[in-house]
Amino acid sequence: MAEPMLQLKGIHKRFGNLEVLKGVDLDVAKGEVICILGPSGSGKSTLLRCVNLLEPPEEGEIFLEGRDICKGPGSGTGEQSWNLDYVRQRVGMVFQQFNLFPHKTALQNVSLAPQTVLGRSKAEAEEKGRALLERVGLGDRLGQYPETLSGGQQQRVAIARALAMEPHVMLFDEVTSALDPELVKEVLDTMRELAGEGMTMLVVTHEMGFAKEVGDRVVFMDGGVVVEQGDPKQVLDSPREERTQRFLGLVLER
Amino acid sequence: MSVFFEQYFDFHIMGEHFWEVFDAFLQNLLIFVVAGIVALAWGLLLAVVRQTPGRKTGVLRFITIAYIDLLRAIPLLVIILIISGGVPFLTFIPKGIRIPEWFGKPDPFWYGVAALVFVYGAYMAEVYRAGIEAVPRGQMEAARSLGMSHLQAMRYIVVPQAVTKIPAPMLNELISLLKDTTLVSFIAFAESTLVSREILAEQLNSSALILTAFFFLVICLPGARLVDFLIRRNQAKVTRGAHIEVG
Repeated sequence: MAEPMLQLKGIHKRFGNLEVLKGVDLDVAKGEVICILGPSGSGKSTLLRCVNLLEPPEEGEIFLEGRDICKGPGSGTGEQSWNLDYVRQRVGMVFQQFNLFPHKTALQNVSLAPQTVLGRSKAEAEEKGRALLERVGLGDRLGQYPETLSGGQQQRVAIARALAMEPHVMLFDEVTSALDPELVKEVLDTMRELAGEGMTMLVVTHEMGFAKEVGDRVVFMDGGVVVEQGDPKQVLDSPREERTQRFLGLVLER
Repeated sequence: MSVFFEQYFDFHIMGEHFWEVFDAFLQNLLIFVVAGIVALAWGLLLAVVRQTPGRKTGVLRFITIAYIDLLRAIPLLVIILIISGGVPFLTFIPKGIRIPEWFGKPDPFWYGVAALVFVYGAYMAEVYRAGIEAVPRGQMEAARSLGMSHLQAMRYIVVPQAVTKIPAPMLNELISLLKDTTLVSFIAFAESTLVSREILAEQLNSSALILTAFFFLVICLPGARLVDFLIRRNQAKVTRGAHIEVG
């Protein structure tokens, strides 16, 4: 078997006395699209935030393209013991609340990090930024500020912004949850295209349709552990675990 | 009643000394501009250092917080006297710095500027801090997730948004700073208060001080109105849910 893109081993994360992740293992192959489902508080967003070390885990190991990015227990917890540059330049993240920079135009949002982090020239970064915004269908919105864009457009700018750093893995944290229903499709379409191009993706979502259609694998989390994972159709249509059945029952009842 | 008017509003004395007091007031403005610009930069530096994460900078952070607390707790006049009455005798400091006479300004001018910068830098650091903390956490996270360092995220993302949230409190500090330039009169720098006091001593008449008060009013009153306007405008923006654009 080819070396996995991403490997999580025994990930633990606590906030004070609250243990949010209680030993999560997950292997992600290159080009795989994994949809992570689960009730709120199950630790799925925290898991994503562990992967790019926004919330470094207290215990466990994370291997990104074979390299240990987060030294195991007993090592220093200072930032210098993590490979932040290595991680953040390979892992892109899109947030539920978009988090676009409100004082920058769409094009500036997309082209800023390549200039400051990768040292690209302004012309080069903007040319790439233009192409990326074109690709997410916003080629005519380059000079607009986020507040003048719809939620769906903002989220597509956020996707383009993450792609500008040429990540090898993309993390999506409930990216459609803050959107009006009619704007969800345009964002999911963008993600579908990205998956089609072979991007490795970890998607925390409540969109069952998307999980079934685009996901290579569905992971169901509850109480800080992976309860069940497997082929999307199997997990979603005939889940084995009782907790998965109960969750899906509640979601599909709506 | 006429005694009152003659004591405070003797237009003859005001007219006679108008340009003398006006020129001295320009010295207040000069101290204000120099100290204001440097304090704005110094305060921002303090605020940014105060907000650094991680253990590495822990000591630096502690020193910064101690500095901000201390300088806000000691009266400005005491700081002015501590600097002007001590620094000239610290012989280990080169003479050009210990007794500064830069740009043709006497050393009390620079001691006053230094004291104002030290104290107002601390006050302004707290104003900046409020602005920085008002920027949503997601902004820092987004910048960091794109690979920016903490300092890059501060410089390009957080601080530019923070400064748009604080013009009103910062203007309050600046108005206060302008008024406090009169304290430099205590170390014999000929600004408007000192000059008017000398006229008072000579003529036993307070009209020159009223003239000084008038000059401060002319500058500070519109400033106070501007603060109110900025606060209202900011509230309107907050209620509309829009952000404030950087110019």
